[in-house]
Amino acid sequence: MSAVAAPSVYAGGASVIAVGVLLAEFGMFRQALLRDQVRLYAAQSALISVLAILVAAVRHLPELYVLAALSAGLKVVCVPVVLRRLLRGIGAGRTGEVDPEPGWTEIAGSGSLSLANTVLLAIAVAAFGFFSVAALGIRSPVLPPTALAISVSVALVAFVLMIMRRDVASQAIGFLSLENGISLTALVVAAGLPLFLEVAFLFDLLVAVVVFELLIRVHHGRAESLSTADLTRLRG
Amino acid sequence: MSAALPIPVVQFCQVATIALAAPGVSGVIARVEARLQGRTGPRVLQPYYDLAKLLRKEALAPEGASWVFLAAPVAAATCYLTVPLLIPVLTSFGLPLGYMGDILGGGLILALASFLVAVAALETGSPYAQLGASRAKTFGAITEPVVLFVVFTVALVTGTDLPYALAATVRSSASQIVRPAHLLAAAALFMVILSETGRIPVETHTGTNEFGMIEEARPFEHSGPYFALLKWGSAMKQLILYTILINVFVAPWGLAASTQAGAVGLAIVALLAKAAALGVVVAVIDNSFAKLRLFKITEFAAAAFLLAVLGVFTLYLGGG
Amino acid sequence: MLVVILLLLGAPFATALVSLRAPAAVAQAVTAITGVGSFGLVLALIPAATHRDLNYLSYLRIDAVSAVFLLATSFLYAAVAVYSVGYLARSRASDADFSRYARRFYAGLNLFAWTMLAAPMMSNLALLWIAVEVTTVVSALLVAIEDTDGAAEAAWKYILIASAGLGLALLATIFAYYAGAQVLGEHYNLSFTALLQAGPRLPHTPVRLAFVLAVLGFGTKMGLFPVHTWLPDAHSEAPTPVSALLSGSLLAVSFYAILRYYQVATAALGPRFPRDVLLVFGIASLLLAALYLLDQRDVKRLLAYSSVEHMGILAIGVSFGAPIALAGVLLHVLAHAAAKGNAFMGAGVLVRKFGSKRIAGIGGGLDLLPWSGPLFGIAVLALCAMPPFGIFRSEFEIVEGGFGASANAPAAVLIVLVTVAFLGLSVAANRMLLMPRDRSPGALSRGEPSAWMVVPVVAGVAVLLVLGIHPPADLTGLLARAVHQLGAVT
Repeated sequence: MSAVAAPSVYAGGASVIAVGVLLAEFGMFRQALLRDQVRLYAAQSALISVLAILVAAVRHLPELYVLAALSAGLKVVCVPVVLRRLLRGIGAGRTGEVDPEPGWTEIAGSGSLSLANTVLLAIAVAAFGFFSVAALGIRSPVLPPTALAISVSVALVAFVLMIMRRDVASQAIGFLSLENGISLTALVVAAGLPLFLEVAFLFDLLVAVVVFELLIRVHHGRAESLSTADLTRLRG
Repeated sequence: MSAALPIPVVQFCQVATIALAAPGVSGVIARVEARLQGRTGPRVLQPYYDLAKLLRKEALAPEGASWVFLAAPVAAATCYLTVPLLIPVLTSFGLPLGYMGDILGGGLILALASFLVAVAALETGSPYAQLGASRAKTFGAITEPVVLFVVFTVALVTGTDLPYALAATVRSSASQIVRPAHLLAAAALFMVILSETGRIPVETHTGTNEFGMIEEARPFEHSGPYFALLKWGSAMKQLILYTILINVFVAPWGLAASTQAGAVGLAIVALLAKAAALGVVVAVIDNSFAKLRLFKITEFAAAAFLLAVLGVFTLYLGGG
Repeated sequence: MLVVILLLLGAPFATALVSLRAPAAVAQAVTAITGVGSFGLVLALIPAATHRDLNYLSYLRIDAVSAVFLLATSFLYAAVAVYSVGYLARSRASDADFSRYARRFYAGLNLFAWTMLAAPMMSNLALLWIAVEVTTVVSALLVAIEDTDGAAEAAWKYILIASAGLGLALLATIFAYYAGAQVLGEHYNLSFTALLQAGPRLPHTPVRLAFVLAVLGFGTKMGLFPVHTWLPDAHSEAPTPVSALLSGSLLAVSFYAILRYYQVATAALGPRFPRDVLLVFGIASLLLAALYLLDQRDVKRLLAYSSVEHMGILAIGVSFGAPIALAGVLLHVLAHAAAKGNAFMGAGVLVRKFGSKRIAGIGGGLDLLPWSGPLFGIAVLALCAMPPFGIFRSEFEIVEGGFGASANAPAAVLIVLVTVAFLGLSVAANRMLLMPRDRSPGALSRGEPSAWMVVPVVAGVAVLLVLGIHPPADLTGLLARAVHQLGAVT
């Protein structure tokens, strides 16, 4: 068996950051508290901004600096603040609560599989993502091919996360991490996309987050909890 | 100025360094941990004194135990003395006996030692020892795939699975250090080491806690010199694993490039310093995290598996 | 023409803003005027769109294909705007509650219609995605506007699944950019015409990937199997005018997005691959919908599955590829909008009259509702492709195109499954219209709840008759040009 040649330092570093994004995605399976999930999401978004800055510096794409700053401002600051405000307000109605922020420290509902099995399932899904991207043979102009495979895997694992979670807030955070995976793919494959389109996508995401927040409030208002266990009324 | 040492001496030095320094590394970890907790803590050389005390004590064997019970600690210690011949402890080039086995061979011998101790524990009929043995083997089985994938990573990166080759590759350029496969494999191996040496978050190294003890329970029935051999053996296993992590993955610098006495001496000092540094890291982790409940150890193993598998995947896609 | 287009874009948005502040009656009136006005404006656009593509302000582009979808949306907007005048009356207990509900309802309705009118006008794949995404968020809020558990559940499912699907569609957009950038340079701005012109030079793999992701992603919003699961819930729990718009227009707008990717994929890859993909999804959707239609308990859910069926028919029609099949597909978009709108509006009247959405709870509709009963029956018959209504003509053209393109097996399957769907729909309609109610009627008098709820349905039936018997020459001209643009290859 012959050795696999090492990538350049830039490629290696960029791949490591991308791997960090994927590991953050897997980390969300582990987080039982909603607060930790939001923080992990913020960390994941920060990693993507760092990668964008790295690409901008090495590949001389100044527009990406603006994009990195905006996306960091939006996804690392605004969205977690919105989510925190939402979750804080949620638990306020319950009686006998000692915790002043019960929604923020609420434990996320987990699905039918245990955590270890879920991680194994997610690894299998990520493997599918890796190998299908390898088979496609799409070469990115600015980042190594590993980064494209990782970004597609992040999106796929985010789907698994959304499926496995049993409460609306975790599902929403799973959706947001899906958007993270897609913006990572955009960074890998579409780094030259005109800036205003990228900004439009970002603000669209913000609108979506606001609507998600409204609907979570609606859900909580009716069900008095964030669990989706009772969402079985509509069938057939 | 320094004389060139003959090769057999260097080989002997490898084994001797591991054998003699192993309890010291445990002592360093115990002291640093105590310091971090605000206590003064035991002497760094305390494990040596413990071993000496134990060697003077009487050895007892339970009724019904066969010769395996007495032979196992000796055999295990022998295995632990063999493995340093195979891994880059002091030198950056392969020594003749080092070609006896590759990483897989080294892993096999370590597993053999662990197996013998487990069999001896099973023989005793004591509930604690059997508990420890069965848990150790179960969790060992779960972490095996991780070790395998780490080995695959090494094989894919260097084209062989000789540990010397990977050390040389890592030293060769900065790009080798930054590649994700290398970092992921190192992280996965570190998690396996935490599991194999019985540290937080898998097990508390000090104190016996029935709900959580895995490795610590196995030598329950041994006493006197046999117990000393087992303790020393497990300290050696710890230092061997640390050496593999340090000298192959994380920091393969400071190894002797020739057999000059000065270079070899420097290599010994470097190894001990690096092992102590890793020990400090382990002590900090000990104090920062809580022990996982037993059924959550599968999550820990799954996380290590994830890291190892990702390491192999990134290699497959060209570059990694 | 620019003035017309700007009015078309500006009026619904302005109406939405007005509805937020103004009293309910004012909002109702302004919405109705805007709705009918928009329909008129689109009719004015048609002659121009038949002869050339309209390009303005570098981001607006209306060609014949867009005009067809604009027509469908604006007709339903007009119908629904008039219908809501009757629908919202007396449906709320207290005045304050009602006025808040009405304000939100009208603001949402106008905003929703605005986004659906804007989407076919976008010249740029990225803006198209953004428009479809905004339709999702607005319609999700509208689905949740009712104060019931079912509505909350349906809205949550809808937004989660649809947003995840649109995430896939965003991936498709990104790969389309990648394909375009290979040929057109790094600063390619996802303009559709440029991509289409570069067609044969585009690299195959990214285009293939983009097309499949687009079908899956936009197909989530269109209601293709297996990503249709939100559809029955959302369409049945939303208020009736919103359901009509969802089924008749929103699904069509999502189909429009898929059509654009289909154009690009055909230009780059040839017709084989895109058609195969669409055929698979179309047949699967049609099969699932036909089977589910046989056993429905809720009238609006029944109509929702019928929408899935028709979307499957649209996909199959495109996969046939013959010009007449494509003409049938576009006509089907128009006819389905009218028929589905009628059906939902009639169902709304039935639900209002009998106080229950369950099919078992509704009976004797023909006796008790002198107008809406027969009109609902006509709508159901129209949905089942009964002549002389428009859907008969369009499905006939699709099947003829299928046999002409030697796709005999899929065409035969289509006919069989449509018949199965007819069975399901007619059993339910029979139950609701002809058979008497199970329990004692309890003082239900014969009469319509509101005339406002009848007029749009009559208009819809008129449209269906026109489309079925003799489509106007302008329309056939428009359809011919649209078919030509879709690159029909026999």
